[in-house]
Amino acid sequence: MSDDGGLWLLALGPAGATALYWALYRYYRNTDKSHAFERETTVEAKPVTGSDSKVGEVKGTRETRIRGDNVREYRKRVNRIRNDTDSS
Amino acid sequence: MSNANTPPAPPAGPGSPRDVPPLPGSFPIDQATLPEPIREELLAPDPVAIDTAAAELKDGLNRCPKCGATDIRQKPGSDLLICQYCRNEWHGARVEEEFGLGQGIDQLKGTVIASGARDIAADSASLMSFKCTGCGAEVTVNTESAMTARCHWCRHVFGVNEQVPNGAVPDAVLPFHISKDDAVARIRQFVGKRQLFALKAFKEQFTPENVVAVYMPYMIVDGNASADVAGQGEIKTREYTQGSGDNKKTYYDADVYQVGRHVDFTVDDLPLESSSERGNLDTRVNTNNIINTILPFDTKNAVKWNASYLVGITSEKRDSDVEQLRPRLEDQLLSIARAQVQASTSRYDRGVRWEHERLDVHGTRWVSMYLPVWLYSYHQPGSNGGMLHYIAVNGRTGETMGSVPIQQWKLLMAAITVGTFLEGIALWILGSSS
Repeated sequence: MSDDGGLWLLALGPAGATALYWALYRYYRNTDKSHAFERETTVEAKPVTGSDSKVGEVKGTRETRIRGDNVREYRKRVNRIRNDTDSS
Repeated sequence: MSNANTPPAPPAGPGSPRDVPPLPGSFPIDQATLPEPIREELLAPDPVAIDTAAAELKDGLNRCPKCGATDIRQKPGSDLLICQYCRNEWHGARVEEEFGLGQGIDQLKGTVIASGARDIAADSASLMSFKCTGCGAEVTVNTESAMTARCHWCRHVFGVNEQVPNGAVPDAVLPFHISKDDAVARIRQFVGKRQLFALKAFKEQFTPENVVAVYMPYMIVDGNASADVAGQGEIKTREYTQGSGDNKKTYYDADVYQVGRHVDFTVDDLPLESSSERGNLDTRVNTNNIINTILPFDTKNAVKWNASYLVGITSEKRDSDVEQLRPRLEDQLLSIARAQVQASTSRYDRGVRWEHERLDVHGTRWVSMYLPVWLYSYHQPGSNGGMLHYIAVNGRTGETMGSVPIQQWKLLMAAITVGTFLEGIALWILGSSS
């Protein structure tokens, strides 16, 4: 086994301890829970429309996902465009 | 200078608060003579309010429709009201049908506010007094925490039924279905699964029989909105490895796309806390997120307001107006939109980074409701006043959620023990392989 693999193994203890602490903390305190309105509310949506256009290519990246992937983080607000004509 | 300290007299001329207020919608000038832009503004529709005030309950006495007695309770486990005197049972009208709340959400325009959800008057008092029509005594109800009282002279039961401007009277109420025994059993079960690392004092003082029934104030919102999101997505085109042995590294090639999505959608009965204290979900200082988690309720079954449903049950008063809740609504609508468009981005197997989002709210309808919650609380002493832990049971669906205080040193010890054990294995593997 190489030095690299050995060093990685040494992190097992602290990582395991931290993971267990947080998992149990959340199980008891449930601080991560809230109303899941995205799926628990009756939403009727018309078919989603949109556009897709290729703008470039990435070659030889080592990242498995796009940088800043937020497709599942519905509640993370991004730059909001406000229209002045909004009557409400 | 005897009058040096007397305050100046309040304005009393025309246009002052001393004037008799004009009828809503009336305007002193003939609107046809005004320039087009001003006229348009004046003639634009006012926020529509659905009138949910019940005329027959005006005097504060809820009478049995059969015998006229005022001792009316909710029949446990049902939405029925029962007269304690003649045992007559009847059902409150469901607001869903009565006011057509389930229909026409996609046609909603502007802001429609039911009469119980109107803005709270700044000078309104939470103490209300009634003159008992039975004996003439004064009966006071503190609407901060209760909506009914009994005249201690003639034993008439009073309920706050008029839609007073202090926000205490909602449009509708959803009666309790889960009985106390059921709620106690659920809390016991919930805590039973969280014993090992629970605070010792919490376990010692655990008495789920102390659970209380509370009506919490909510705004139930229907909305009609459109949202646009834009960002970049990547599709993997190639995956390859370079190097050999331990230096093997995986590389990816991908096509980058500019992605835009648009969705028109309606939401039906989205609940929002209309008590500003309950709406504050800061888990560092409170556990209100527990009460938030047991949402939603079957708000379709809510019945028209009748204070008899609240006999013996405490209630919290609404203190937020529609405009104060609007940012939270828009935030939730954007989240819903983002969830809706996710399925259409499945071809982007390396994910999508949304960068811009836009929301157009075409119309909303606001109805205020009291929703039933069984609440068990435990105060954990500590710095900054400690922490109030809640265990909440949804009074309709029985959904249970709670915050169990932790015995910190026990949990730390367990984590360190497991960590040490894992480290031991790691060292053993290293030692045996070298």
